[in-house]
Amino acid sequence: MTPRTDAPPPLQVRDVTVRFAGLTALDQVSFTVAPGTAHAVIGPNGAGKSTCFNVLSGLYRPASGSVRLGGTELTRLAPHRIAALGVARTFQNIVTTQGTVADNLMLGRHALTRAGFAASALRLPRAVREQRDHLARVREIAELTGLGALFDTPVALLSYGDRKRVELARALCLEPRVLLLDEPVAGMNAGERVRMAEVVREIRAELGLSVVLVEHDMGLVMRLADEVTVLDFGRRIAHGTPDEVRRDPEVLRAYLGTERADGEDAA
Amino acid sequence: MSDLLERGRFLLPAVLLAALPFYLDAFWLRIGLFSMAAAIGAVGLGLLSGTAGQLSLGHAFFLAVGAYGYVWLAGDSGPGLPPAVALVLAVLLAGAAGGLFSPVAGRVKGVYLGVATLALVFLGHHVLLTADSVTGGFNGSSVPPLEIGSFAFDQGDDLTVLGVPFGAEERIWYLGLALFALTWFTARGLLRGRPGRALVALRDSETAAAVMGVHVARYRSAAFVVSSMYAGLAGVLLALSFRRVVPDYFSLALSVDYLAMIVIGGLGSVAGATAGAVFVTALPLLMTRYADQLPLVAAPGSGDGSIGPTEAARYLYGAAIVVILVFAPDGLTGLARRARARIARPRPPGPAPSDPGAAPRPPATAVRAKEHTP
Repeated sequence: MTPRTDAPPPLQVRDVTVRFAGLTALDQVSFTVAPGTAHAVIGPNGAGKSTCFNVLSGLYRPASGSVRLGGTELTRLAPHRIAALGVARTFQNIVTTQGTVADNLMLGRHALTRAGFAASALRLPRAVREQRDHLARVREIAELTGLGALFDTPVALLSYGDRKRVELARALCLEPRVLLLDEPVAGMNAGERVRMAEVVREIRAELGLSVVLVEHDMGLVMRLADEVTVLDFGRRIAHGTPDEVRRDPEVLRAYLGTERADGEDAA
Repeated sequence: MSDLLERGRFLLPAVLLAALPFYLDAFWLRIGLFSMAAAIGAVGLGLLSGTAGQLSLGHAFFLAVGAYGYVWLAGDSGPGLPPAVALVLAVLLAGAAGGLFSPVAGRVKGVYLGVATLALVFLGHHVLLTADSVTGGFNGSSVPPLEIGSFAFDQGDDLTVLGVPFGAEERIWYLGLALFALTWFTARGLLRGRPGRALVALRDSETAAAVMGVHVARYRSAAFVVSSMYAGLAGVLLALSFRRVVPDYFSLALSVDYLAMIVIGGLGSVAGATAGAVFVTALPLLMTRYADQLPLVAAPGSGDGSIGPTEAARYLYGAAIVVILVFAPDGLTGLARRARARIARPRPPGPAPSDPGAAPRPPATAVRAKEHTP
């Protein structure tokens, strides 16, 4: 019912390669997310950012390479087991389920709760108590993400920006040690972007978790990230602090498309 | 507090239903009994198809497992167990049958599962016809009455309560009511608890559910097993109400009837499944009984080429289904919700965000997020 208190373990991505029928989506990508830091993964469209996230959350199995959370190898685990280790994510396209904000956030508690079919059907005292206790914590998280007033509102009636925040809050309901944010401000207007950046900054300060961020909005990346990994055509082309990456000639070339190497045109 | 309110809300209907045998004759009680049995089965299918998004055309098979399981377990051809024990075992047997199918039910998704379950109905029907020694073959077998202690749920000894003679219908009515109450209680507990949320998530987005920690295959199988158990319970109650089981009743048409119930009632809620079950069960029976009073319908047996009451009932029933699906695509529950909202505030100036309960909810399909394509 309370946040995890131990510091998050480091997330180490080593030489991860993913191929789809001959297309190499990720090519020997490595980076490390130090405990409690925010790490951004950026790159042009099709660079392999979402593929990278799908490997981290267990939806794709890489052809080679390893992903370790502390001492645990993640690449051989099913998504629900990775979730149970405290790795939560949001989706680029909003994926909410039917029901109220509370229903969606309680779904986020799934990995932390136990009540099964029999206990819930018979409303055994422990199932009822569990539901009540976790609902209290979920309400706190809703307040933290600015969804307190919308707690009992059906998600379908919310604005786009609010639904994006429901996704974030639902991921937080897992009490994650590592939070994967897939384009958290995509499609938002300027005001919503600023508010979302505030919320992410606050939860990092409050919960002390590691954040991995895929984002196109460079302003947000520069403001939030401690470290940046730049991907292009599945390969890591740059790595460093936001300032270092911003000045990197490779990065400028990838983003502005000037002086391309011949090999990349062929790809 | 809200728990107390909820209990109060169910007290009145419960008292009304319990009082009905004192006022209605056997015809109406039978309609009520069949409706209650159908409602139990429909709640089960609603859990699988409405909540978890898994289509099943095999519901009739699990009804048959429950019905024949009870008949065999309690009957003379089988072990002849006490009927109350046979009832419980028949439900577990239906669940086990669903569990045997779980390698398929856990992996196959949506419409594809519907096609896979089609095989069960034909298989079941064939077995019921050919395994004479257990099922009685084409002619079926009679159903041993339920006895709890020394009280038998049949017309056996004369029993008069408050001046009303209690025959089989009156007695089974209370059994049906108890089983339906149990179904209502457990299904709502499931839907509002952790498993219900996980199943809804599975239906709306499998990837999101998995990332949220839901064991996809296990929950799909579990939904199938639970749905089979409700079907088994419905099968037992149907058998007790009919007092005879025959193979032809458990056909594909029965599975389709159950699908019609949950769609007409409104997917995803226990009240919806119940309303749909009553509609689909009671309407044809009522129409058959009263169709001869409609214009242009000939009396039964007049044989002058005009429409007989049975045909008329079927046409009317079909028309009623079309009307409901056109004007209330979210089923009878959606209709009731809108009616309540209109009564609560006579002229709504658009949805009021401060009171989401009264605001018209968008149909379930609009809520569905697109499946995430990574």
